[in-house]
Amino acid sequence: MKLSDLQQWRDRAVRDVSMRGERKEWRIVVSMGTSGIAAGARDVMRALMDEIERQELENVEVALTGSLGLDDFEPVLRVEHQDESVFYGRLTPEAARSIISEHVCQGRKVERFVIGLPKERE
Amino acid sequence: MDEIALHVLDIGMNAVAAGARHVVVTIVEDVEKDRLEIRVVDDGKGMDPEQVRDVLERFSSDKAQRKRPIALGLALLRQTAEKCGGGLRITSTPGRGTQVDAWMRHRDYDRPPLGNLADTLFALCLGAPEVDVQCTHQKNGTVFHFDSAQVRQALGPGVSLQSPEGVRAVRRALGSRE
Repeated sequence: MKLSDLQQWRDRAVRDVSMRGERKEWRIVVSMGTSGIAAGARDVMRALMDEIERQELENVEVALTGSLGLDDFEPVLRVEHQDESVFYGRLTPEAARSIISEHVCQGRKVERFVIGLPKERE
Repeated sequence: MDEIALHVLDIGMNAVAAGARHVVVTIVEDVEKDRLEIRVVDDGKGMDPEQVRDVLERFSSDKAQRKRPIALGLALLRQTAEKCGGGLRITSTPGRGTQVDAWMRHRDYDRPPLGNLADTLFALCLGAPEVDVQCTHQKNGTVFHFDSAQVRQALGPGVSLQSPEGVRAVRRALGSRE
């Protein structure tokens, strides 16, 4: 595999992606930077996707980001729904499953894992 | 980072952050030659030589000079690789992509285990479904291959990798490894 091969694929892929893109009702952004990964973000991600699959949810989009700037609370994720963003931290796979089954499915935040918005910490 | 697979996820995330559309991971475990090789190639925005130097000298550089914590994990992997009789090399071209090569002694006492490569690929290709993630893992003549683009093609247009059906398809593709 050469870089030049990849280069050629990219233009095609960019076109493909622009044809998909639809807005889902729920968006979950998982912090998957170095500190998040070291703290267990991969297992949190797995639990999220497993639960989305188990509950047969089609209305959730999951995205990864380098860091949400909350290293002390890793693993961290943000749940976006309508105009609201909720940050969750010090997560476990079990907590991630609860976020899907309680917050996303029933609209009830998992309070014991909620952390303040970044601006509240400053 | 106590797994090679977690380092692979970290490098993969660098690629995603760099806007890559393709990430190609190759892991070769040659037990006979006592060598473990990891290669991650992406077609992201790449780095100029100065940025590459910054990434690799992360620990020795002045903290105040750091603008953003880019690719901290590469310095960690380099440290691990050197401790295990190996090294790390970054080949990058701005606008074209980056290739990271790391190698180490397979039997070194300090070498982290390979860890859960399937979970790493699961997280990467489902978390960045617009990116094609390929992985080849060779060990003693057995080869595992995964390609998220193939999974997407099999699902057909209009079915996202992140849908329940997509998640199941990815899991099936990953489950085929020994």
